[in-house]
Amino acid sequence: MTQRPTRTGELLSIDGLKTHFYTQDGVVKAVDGVSFGIRNGETLGVVGESGCGKSITALSVMRLIERPGRIVAGSIRLADRDLLALSDEEMRDVRGNAISMIFQEPMTSLNPVYPCGDQIAEAISLHEGIHRREAGDRAIEMLSQVGIPDAKRRAREYPHQLSGGMRQRVMIAMALSTNPELLIADEPTTALDVTIQAQILELMKALRERNRMAIMLITHDLGVIAEMADDVVVMYSGKVVESSDVNTVFEQPHHPYTKGLLASIPRLGEKRHRLEVIQGVVPNPLNLPKGCLFKRRCPSAMPVCDTPPPLQEIQPGHLSRCWLTPAGEPPEIGADAEAETAVAAAAALTVEA
Amino acid sequence: MARYVVRRLIQAIPIIVGISIIAFFIVYSAPGDPFDRFRSNKVSPEVIANLRRVYGLDQPLPIQFVKWFTAFWSFPFDNTAWGFSITDGLPVRDKIFERIPSTLQLMGTSLILTIIIAIPVGILGAVKQYSIADKVIAVITTIGYALPTFWLGIILRQIFAQQLDLFPLFGKYTFGKEGDILDLLWHLALPAMTITIVGVAGWSRYMRASMLEVLRADYIRTAKAKGLASSRVIFKHALRNALIPIVTLLGLTIPTLLAGAAITEAVFSWPGLGYLGVSAVTERDYPVVLAFAMIGGAMVIIGNLLADILYAVVDPRIKY
Ligand SMILES: Nc1ncnc2c1ncn2[C@@H]1O[C@H](COP(=O)(O)OP(=O)(O)OP(=O)(O)O)[C@@H](O)[C@H]1O
Ligand SMILES: [Mg+2]
Repeated sequence: MTQRPTRTGELLSIDGLKTHFYTQDGVVKAVDGVSFGIRNGETLGVVGESGCGKSITALSVMRLIERPGRIVAGSIRLADRDLLALSDEEMRDVRGNAISMIFQEPMTSLNPVYPCGDQIAEAISLHEGIHRREAGDRAIEMLSQVGIPDAKRRAREYPHQLSGGMRQRVMIAMALSTNPELLIADEPTTALDVTIQAQILELMKALRERNRMAIMLITHDLGVIAEMADDVVVMYSGKVVESSDVNTVFEQPHHPYTKGLLASIPRLGEKRHRLEVIQGVVPNPLNLPKGCLFKRRCPSAMPVCDTPPPLQEIQPGHLSRCWLTPAGEPPEIGADAEAETAVAAAAALTVEA
Repeated sequence: MARYVVRRLIQAIPIIVGISIIAFFIVYSAPGDPFDRFRSNKVSPEVIANLRRVYGLDQPLPIQFVKWFTAFWSFPFDNTAWGFSITDGLPVRDKIFERIPSTLQLMGTSLILTIIIAIPVGILGAVKQYSIADKVIAVITTIGYALPTFWLGIILRQIFAQQLDLFPLFGKYTFGKEGDILDLLWHLALPAMTITIVGVAGWSRYMRASMLEVLRADYIRTAKAKGLASSRVIFKHALRNALIPIVTLLGLTIPTLLAGAAITEAVFSWPGLGYLGVSAVTERDYPVVLAFAMIGGAMVIIGNLLADILYAVVDPRIKY
């Protein structure tokens, strides 16, 4: 496996990560050779359809993959630490401390039988080694920082007494209470209604400025990406298919899948009678097609797509897993023999095999 | 909460009346009567007719019912309120009250042992799902669950009382040692073990299932993501949630404990309520059977109420 281009100042570096699930029906390659990095203070958006492996990537970083899943290859580094080499105890010290995570489902992510304040204080006293009482005061302070009015009273309330938006604020307060270097937010606003979504995003932006932390923001909402992210990684069927900075991805998308995603966002003031959607469904993870995983749904599919395309750098910092030329043209191949040479040539250019 | 309990108790009144009507008419409309067994050439029909008159069985059923039902409720003050036993002529109330402590001792001990053993076993099975330990537990508990109580009781008695002579064969006290607590515990060991083995088999399965479900919950992932040690995730975050259905189920099964004890009490001649109830049914001792039906009904109502109260105690989402 060749390395992806190294960048300086990366806080989180994921290289060639493979997380597979050994189910009764076969091996599900939920994450299959994913590489990307996040620099200090940067927000990386991870997008892709449901089931493409976003959450599993995040849980792999936290080392919270449950059986029958297993991280089978790759490396995950946080600054100078190799997370996959840490002992369980060392890893527990990273979780909730250097890396915090907030989840998609605010309604079920808090323990129903303990007051919200206690659940935040638990993380604080664990990692800061301070006394319960003091941690309780800090928890109240965190709750007011995330914009919960009457924090003192709310801290004593149980999760069922709070609305979804309030609960997600509690989750954010919990995640930020230990000043993490990296926050992983797995679809933090998907379960919330639109006005609350906007409030939560504003809150995350404000806290990002204040805490100077890096964020891995998982979403399938490109609007959220446009608003929050510096860099974008597009995933499809367990692999990265395109990655670049946010402007490039929005203005010069290369991979047909990314183009499809962009075409499916409704735009204000544009007269289109129908939204374009990507035809077809994600391939069955137990029965992946040969060659390019997207070819069956791809409007630009061509014979060469029966060979899996490598992730190649089409411009500096812009990677795409597609046979199209950097200009977006089909590669000039006639005969099969020529295709072989093209494959070989491309492999030489490959950033990741 | 107090208002809720009072309201539930008031709602229980029509239920108790209904239970008493149904129980009474079922018992008395069953063919035959308690004196059938006296019928032979040696007993003249006049004697039997006389007995029937003494016990009021010659009157029309509705009248018998009203008499029985109105007298029934004076039991706190009147030991004849529940009538007289047909087998020995003693007041039914005294016969029953005298046996309550024995049953409570046996059931209480077994229940406590069951909980103390079943909950950790269930947790272990869930946390180490599919491990060797889990499989061994599954095999043992399935066997325990499938064993008939009476058979298990007889086998335990055979091995530990008859062959090894470690425990007494039957009864509650050695003759002449009544009131000796050590002697009581010695006699209690085998019957309590019988009920506990059967109880652990069932309750550890429930506990395992409940724990497995909770361990899959999102908030458990949140707790792990905080960096908590797995012991804290299990015993603080998962356990309390897993106990919610268990505690409720426990309240609901309290009435069945009475029935479950009957067989064990019979095997070990333990002088408890269940043993009395079983013999009353076989001897058609109507007044005793009816008193049991009423106690059973009351226990179902109390058990349900207890389940609801416990539910509110363990789950902050429930408020009355
Ligand atoms: N326990 C498991 N056993 C088998 N397969 C699993 C398991 N957990 C996840 N997967 C598979 O891993 C793949 C990726 O799942 P993941 O949760 O990462 O998707 P996602 O991109 O987060 O989707 P969503 O947008 O719906 O959250 C899916 O195809 C799923 O079927
Ligand atoms: Mg997900």
